[in-house]
Amino acid sequence: MSSIGGVPFYILEFGDELVYFTPYTITLFLLALVFTVLVILSRPERQVDIAFGGDAYTTKQILKDEMRFRRFMSIACGLASMGAMVTGDIFNFTLFTAMVGITNVGIVAAVKSPHVQNAAYQYGLVALSATVPLFGAAAVYAASTGSLSMIELARGTLPAVPIIAKALLVIGVVGEGMAPFYAAKAEMFRAPGAPYVIMCSLSSLLIFLRVVEVVMLG
Amino acid sequence: MIIRRISHYLCNYENIVPLFAGACALLFVAAILLLPITYHEHPLYPKTIDRNSTLDPYDRGGPPFSQVVIGVQYPENSPTAGLVTTYLTPFSLFLADRTQHLGTTIVAHPGGIIDEILYNTRGLDTVVEPTILLIAFAIASFLYRKVK
Repeated sequence: MSSIGGVPFYILEFGDELVYFTPYTITLFLLALVFTVLVILSRPERQVDIAFGGDAYTTKQILKDEMRFRRFMSIACGLASMGAMVTGDIFNFTLFTAMVGITNVGIVAAVKSPHVQNAAYQYGLVALSATVPLFGAAAVYAASTGSLSMIELARGTLPAVPIIAKALLVIGVVGEGMAPFYAAKAEMFRAPGAPYVIMCSLSSLLIFLRVVEVVMLG
Repeated sequence: MIIRRISHYLCNYENIVPLFAGACALLFVAAILLLPITYHEHPLYPKTIDRNSTLDPYDRGGPPFSQVVIGVQYPENSPTAGLVTTYLTPFSLFLADRTQHLGTTIVAHPGGIIDEILYNTRGLDTVVEPTILLIAFAIASFLYRKVK
């Protein structure tokens, strides 16, 4: 346990699901927490389009209900990221990851631009299909090791986790977070409203950082 | 040069769905080739299916108002595990005595059979699952109202 994320400071028990705070997980947790607070407090940026060759410029307006919905989705995304950072259970981690994926779609789904919506749709398809390897990996973890607890897996007393389970977990997180495929996300970032769209990027980065720790267990 | 080509291919977001599907397909083929994966001798939540039980497939055993032994990872964290499973309301007990299919109506009668694993020892999962559903419904209803 000490070699991966450090010694847990504190373990919170929810029945069989342990939530643990190691130096690694608490750092990621605080990052998600601070950004969620920023999202709650800040107002969305308003993009300015400047026409080249002239003095004309326009500021994009963000409607209030659109802003509210996107803020709600960003806060939900922040909470899901926080949960994924500190959970000590494989199945719980996959659930939080799936929630991050769906809230990311929600953040940009409210935007009116067809181009952004098309990118969000494509991303939604990937996030949808990524749940199959994601939950499949959790099932293989449970079947082959007889445990879903990361603390038990880190102890090394259980049988080794099959490499295919780890591969499925990683590709599931890749699909949910779109970590290496930022092209689709870049299209989504054309959506106005800076703190909310950055939440998509930050949450996928965080779940990717966490899955690195998870696959090193067991 | 090759990286430039790859990023040029990836910059079109419509290529990402087939690419991801291809990667998943390759991985699933690899998973099939790597079979068999050995099951652990002691499964996490052991359960025997008794087809003759009226509470099948949610019967985890035990007479009502008693505590049965349920295999959990950390028994010290769930001191009440095994009590909920055996609890049936009088109405549920009445139904269980008369029909073979009460176990299929897990959500249909309050105070009936509650799967201990779902709602007690793994309660956090059960909270997160409806939250995902709530988010999905929120998105769907927002989009629906926007289209209208």
